[in-house]
Amino acid sequence: MIQYIQIIRSEYIHLIRSPFKIISLSLFIFALLYSCQNGYELFKKHNIEIESIISQNEKNIDEMLAQYEDIVKGEQKKLRRDPTIPYWAIWNTPSYAFKYPSNMMVFSLGQAEQYGYYKKVTNWSTTFDSDTAEEIANPERLAIGTLDFNFVLIYLLPILIIILLFNVGGLEKDLKFEKLIFLNNITKPRWLFIRFLFYFLVINILLFKLMFIYAFATGIFQNESFDFLNLLLITFLYIFFWFVIFYFINYFGKNSSDQALKMISTWILLSIIIPGSIHQITSIKYPVNYMIDYIDVDRDMSNDIFELPTDTVRIQLLKAFPFLEKTYFSDDINIDKSVINKSISGLVNIENKKISSVIESSNEEKNKFIRSLYLINPILAFQNKINSIARNDYYSYLTYRKHIQSIIDKKIEIILKDTWNNITVDSKRYAYYVKNFK
Amino acid sequence: MIHIIKNEWRILLRGKIFVYSTILFLMSLTITVLLGISQNKNQQLLQKKAQNHMRQKWENLEAMNPHRAAHYGSYAFKTSNILNSMDSGINDITGNVIKLEGHVQNEILYSEASQSLSISKFGKLKASLLLQYVIPLFLIFLAFGSISNEKESKRLKILILQGISFSKLTFAKSLSIWIYGLLLLTITIGVQLIFGDATSETVIRLILIVISYGIYYYIISSLATFFSAKFKSSTSALSSILAIWIAWTIFLPKIWGNTVEKIYPLPSRKVFKTIMKEERLKGIDGHNPTDKRREEIKNKYLAIYNVDSLKNLPINFDGIVMQEDEEYGNIVWDKHFGNNYKILQKQKETYQKSGFFNPFASLQSLSMGFCGTDMFHHLDFLKKSEEYRRTLIKALNNEHAFGGAKTGDWKWTVDNTFFKSIEDFSYRNPKISDFLSHYLMDLLCLLWWSIITTILIKSRTNKELLI
Repeated sequence: MIQYIQIIRSEYIHLIRSPFKIISLSLFIFALLYSCQNGYELFKKHNIEIESIISQNEKNIDEMLAQYEDIVKGEQKKLRRDPTIPYWAIWNTPSYAFKYPSNMMVFSLGQAEQYGYYKKVTNWSTTFDSDTAEEIANPERLAIGTLDFNFVLIYLLPILIIILLFNVGGLEKDLKFEKLIFLNNITKPRWLFIRFLFYFLVINILLFKLMFIYAFATGIFQNESFDFLNLLLITFLYIFFWFVIFYFINYFGKNSSDQALKMISTWILLSIIIPGSIHQITSIKYPVNYMIDYIDVDRDMSNDIFELPTDTVRIQLLKAFPFLEKTYFSDDINIDKSVINKSISGLVNIENKKISSVIESSNEEKNKFIRSLYLINPILAFQNKINSIARNDYYSYLTYRKHIQSIIDKKIEIILKDTWNNITVDSKRYAYYVKNFK
Repeated sequence: MIHIIKNEWRILLRGKIFVYSTILFLMSLTITVLLGISQNKNQQLLQKKAQNHMRQKWENLEAMNPHRAAHYGSYAFKTSNILNSMDSGINDITGNVIKLEGHVQNEILYSEASQSLSISKFGKLKASLLLQYVIPLFLIFLAFGSISNEKESKRLKILILQGISFSKLTFAKSLSIWIYGLLLLTITIGVQLIFGDATSETVIRLILIVISYGIYYYIISSLATFFSAKFKSSTSALSSILAIWIAWTIFLPKIWGNTVEKIYPLPSRKVFKTIMKEERLKGIDGHNPTDKRREEIKNKYLAIYNVDSLKNLPINFDGIVMQEDEEYGNIVWDKHFGNNYKILQKQKETYQKSGFFNPFASLQSLSMGFCGTDMFHHLDFLKKSEEYRRTLIKALNNEHAFGGAKTGDWKWTVDNTFFKSIEDFSYRNPKISDFLSHYLMDLLCLLWWSIITTILIKSRTNKELLI
C-alpha cells in the first residue's frame, strides 16, 4: 500500500513539474468553463425569448378582451375578422408551442441549433413549417459547431488524457531504466495501473467538481437530479473507456513517441474517421429528403380540397370528425359555405399528419441505421446519449413536433365544434380559448 | 539540397510502415473521393428530380387567377457543386428547399442535419476530412523525429562535419516531407479530376485547392521539422507540435467562431420578422402607412388613364397594388436582409483574421470556398432565388394588372400557356473569379505563415543544442 501511495506521490510531482501538462490542464479547464458558460447563455437566451413571447401574448389577450367589452358596449366597429366568430376568435388566441430548454442544456447544446424552439401555431400550421427550422445564425459557425461541454468531454478530454498519459511508462523506456522499476517488487500491470489511476482520479474529480458547480448555478437539482446523475455516470464510463484503451497502448508501447502516435491515431480513428465514414454511408443510403411529398400535400392537396363542392367537403368532414354529427349544422344539407371554408383546415391537417408520419418514419429508419452502428462508433453513442439527457437530440425535437401537432389538433377541434354549433364568442368563451392554448 | 531530399526519400521508402501507410492512404483517399462523387451525383439527381417535379406541377396548373398562382408559388432546391464531393462545407447543416411565393420571402428549409440524430461533429468522410486532419497529422509523424533522431543517433554531428549547412539540412528534410504531402494531395485531386466531370471552372477551383493545401502542408512540415531541430528529444518535439495541431484544428476554430458571433450578434428570427412586418405595414421610415401609399398609387393611375374611378380603369388596379406592395416589401427585405448579410460578412472577416494565429482556419475557409460550399456560395444561392422570386411575382402581377382583367375581378383566370411562358428557376454556381476577393485574407494568412516558418527554419534552429 505504501508503495502505491509512493507511486501516486511521485506521479503528482511529475505532473506539477511538467509545464506542458499543467498548461494543457489549465487550457482544458478554461475550455470547460467556456463551454458550460456557452450552454448556460443559450439556456438563458431561450428562456428570455420564450418569456418575451409569453408577455407579448398576454398583451394581445388583453387587447382582445377589451374588444369584447367594446362589442358589449356597442363601441366596436364591425371588423373584417369578426372576433365573435369562433374561427377568428381562435385565430386571435395567441398559441405558441415552446420547447422549454432543459437546465441540462448547460452540458450539451446537442441539436438545439438545428431547430427552432418556439412556434406560432394556427389551424393551418404543420410540423414542418419554416418556423420549426433553426434560428438565424452564421452557417459556417454552425458547421464548425459550438464549444459546449459535450464537445469538450467527448473530443477534447481524450486529447487531454493523451497529453497526460503519453509518456507514462514511455519515459522510462525512452531513458532505458524501465527494468529498474520492476526490481522494486512491483509488476508492470500494477505499476501502470496505479499511475493511470492517479490521472483517472484527477480528471474525474476535476470534471465532477465543475459539473456540480454549474449544476448548482442552473438549478438542476430542483427537478433534474436524476438526469444529472445519469450524466455523471456516462461521463465516468466515457473517461474509463479511454483509459482502458490507452492503458493497453502504453502497456505494449515501445517509447513515448510510439505511444503518443498510437494514442492520437486511435483518437483520430474513433472521433473523426469512423463517425465521418458512417455519416457518409448514411448519406448515401438515406439521401437528404427534399420533402416533395410534404410540399405536394401542403400545397396541392389543400388546393384540391378547396375546389371540392361544399356538400362533398361536408360529408368528408362528418366522416373525419364524428363529433360533428351532434352539432347544430350536422343535418343541414344547405350548410353555409363559410362554415365549410372555416372547417377545411381540419381535412388538410389530416393529410398533413399522414405525410408527416411518413417523413418521421423514414427519419426513424435512418436513426435506426445510425444506432445499429453504435458498437463500431462508440463516440457517437456517448455523444447522442448526452444530447438525449440534455433533451437536445432528434427525439426531443420529435416530441416538440408532436406537441405542436397536438396544439394544431386541439385548435381544429375547437374551431369545428364551435363553428358547427354556431357559437357566438364573447369574452367568457374567448377566455376558455385562451385557457386551452396557454 | 536535391541530394538530401533524394536520400530522405530513400530512407522513407525503406520503412515498411511508411510504405504500408502510403498504400493505405492512397486507397482511403481514392475510395473517399469516389464515394463523395457517387453521393454527390445521387444528390444532384434527386435535386434535379425535385426541381423537375415542381416545374411540371407549375406547367400543368389549371387555369387560375395570377394572384392565386403567386400564392401557389414555386420552389428552388439548392444545387450542389461537383466539388461538394470533396468538401461539403456548410451544406449538411443549411436547408435545401426554399418556397418562392408572393408577399413573403421564405427561409431555406429542411437541412440534412435536422432529419436524423447527430452523426458526426467533423462532417462526412470526404476528401477534405482526410486532407485537413489526417494527412497533416501524418506529416507531423514523419517530421517530428527527422532531425532529433539524427541527433539522438549522433549522425547529425557527422553530417555537419561533412560540410552540410544545418539550415539547408533542416529545410531539405522539411521539403522531402512536404513533397510527400503534395503527392497524396495531387493524387486525390487527380482522382477527382478523372471521375468528377471536370469543367474548366472545376479545374481552376482544383488548382486553387492544391495551392491552398500545398501551402498548409508546407507550414505543417516546416514547423514540425523546426521543432524537431529545436528540441533536444523527439518526444518534446512531438508533444509541442501535437499541442499546436490540437489548438489549431480542434480548439481555436470553435473558440474563435463562438467569440466572433458574440462580437457581431445576429438578430433572432422573432426580432427580424417583427421588424420586417412592422416596417412593411408602417412604411420603411415609419411615416408611410400602407393605406396612404395605396391612395397615392390610385390617384397616379387614375390620372394616367384619365378616369375618375377604379371601375373605369382599363386595367386591373389590384395587380398594380400587389406589385407596388411587393416592391415595397422588397425594399424592406433588402434593408434587413442586407443588414444580416453585413453582419455575416463582418463575422466572416473577423474569423478569417484568426488565420494570422491559426492557419488551419484559413485552410478550412479556402477549402470550403474553392469547393463552392461556404457561406458566400450559400448566400449567392439565396440571392439568386430571391431574384427569381421577384421576377416570377412581377410577371404574375403584371399579368393580373394588364392581362385583360378589370379591377376587383378575382375570378379572372389565365391558362397554363401563360404559366409555361415563365422560365423555370435555374441556378448556376458562381465562377470562382467573381468570389476570389473574399478569400484574399485567407491566402494572405497562409502565405504569412509559410514565410514565418521558412524564416524559423532558416534562422532559428538551435544548432548549438544539437552539436
